[in-house]
Amino acid sequence: MVAVLVVSHSRALARAAVALAREMAPDPALHLGIAAGLDEDTLGTDAAAVAEALTAADAAAAGAGVVVLMDLGSAVLAAELALDLLDDDGLRARVELCPAPLVEGLVAAAVTASAGAPRARVVAEALAGLGGKQAHLTQAPAAPPADAARPAPPDAAGEVRAEFTVRGEHGLHARPAALLVRRLHGFDATLELRNLTTGAGPAAADSLLGVATLAASAGHRIAVSASGPQARPAVDALLALAEQGFDDVAPGAVSG
Amino acid sequence: MTDVPTDSAGLQEWVREFARRVAVQRDLLTDLDAAIGDADHGTNLDRGLTAVVAALDATLPAGAAPALKTTGMTLVSTVGGASGPLYGTLFLRMAAALAADGDPGTGGDPGTDGDPGTDGDGTPVEPGRLAAALRAGVDGLAARGRAAPGDKTMIDALVPACDALEAALADGEPLPAALAAASRAADAGRDATTPLQARKGRASYLGERSIGHQDPGATSAALLVGALAVAVGEG
Repeated sequence: MVAVLVVSHSRALARAAVALAREMAPDPALHLGIAAGLDEDTLGTDAAAVAEALTAADAAAAGAGVVVLMDLGSAVLAAELALDLLDDDGLRARVELCPAPLVEGLVAAAVTASAGAPRARVVAEALAGLGGKQAHLTQAPAAPPADAARPAPPDAAGEVRAEFTVRGEHGLHARPAALLVRRLHGFDATLELRNLTTGAGPAAADSLLGVATLAASAGHRIAVSASGPQARPAVDALLALAEQGFDDVAPGAVSG
Repeated sequence: MTDVPTDSAGLQEWVREFARRVAVQRDLLTDLDAAIGDADHGTNLDRGLTAVVAALDATLPAGAAPALKTTGMTLVSTVGGASGPLYGTLFLRMAAALAADGDPGTGGDPGTDGDPGTDGDGTPVEPGRLAAALRAGVDGLAARGRAAPGDKTMIDALVPACDALEAALADGEPLPAALAAASRAADAGRDATTPLQARKGRASYLGERSIGHQDPGATSAALLVGALAVAVGEG
């Protein structure tokens, strides 16, 4: 599983950001590392500490790679210098410094990584992490990441279709969307969602941003279209989650 | 031309003199940074260089390359702000250049692994090698910060200093005179940052409001070159 490392000036900020991401990606197998602050209270970044944290994250990732999220200025410089300080070229090649915004990027990266996605997908979702907020504030659908808007396979023979109504007071917001993404990554199936009430979509159901761009509120009707060997069980799992109202499920209770 | 070689004690004295100058100018550096940055350049750099002096006292590195490597690694772990990885890269690249260009049989890359490398235990550093190492360090710093001359950064003091040092040595000037010329060039470069608009770092957020303020990074960089002129040139 891809590991994620937070490089920040502030240890308190990094810990709080990780706690926020953990709420949506509680899988203990997901490594969320921290290299932040000069000590508990002193703001600053330490390239040598970043190098150590990269080594630990790489070991936890068992070859899947490490995605690094950074806050401002010297956090970026320290992360780059840390790569120089590593004497393992293989490790260096497995690390990607991701320019996504720290909080949004971290949440998207953590959810995507815990679903077992490859490093490039984790980075793409992190980079698109602002999309949900942009869609909400501009009332316009954000551009999904390149591979989140996959066209339906031309072969519709094995396609499974279903519809459900969004329950729960707050609709399909970030945490239920994260639950959905994590749950569906376990299936060999491609699922697309459309918001029949607003016309939004289609969006890939295994993309946090894709789900966010549906802006699915309580009462909206959502159409599901699935294909692939496990299309049926995937749709069943999705409908079961919808039946429970997503949000009413304790984090982790249905995490794959 | 005299080619008085610089021993590792001279380069350690350079770092110690830099530390003393930053300690004296700490509040000035922080005040300059308060105007266009985040008001921590003086305190950050002073904290880092205090740790560097303690590390040199504790480890007594033998040779210029290990001493400069200790300096760089300590700075990257203790400064905290952007000047940590920037000056850290300068010292680490200088250490690597001195080790790679050292006496036969004593090289080794000091920059990236646990091997301290050596330029030979106290082997003198010829003026040309010192200038080349400084250039390598400044190039590394510029690459780390993606900064070019005119961006209102440390580079605006360091690049003219390298240019002046190389030109003076090429003209046959003795090392003390060449380093004095480098220091004058760094001071002029620092002063020339005042009318510039910042294009890097926190100051760049200010846009045109950064105009009219002397750059704190160029100011500390001029202290670095001035310390070299005193410690090595006159030492």
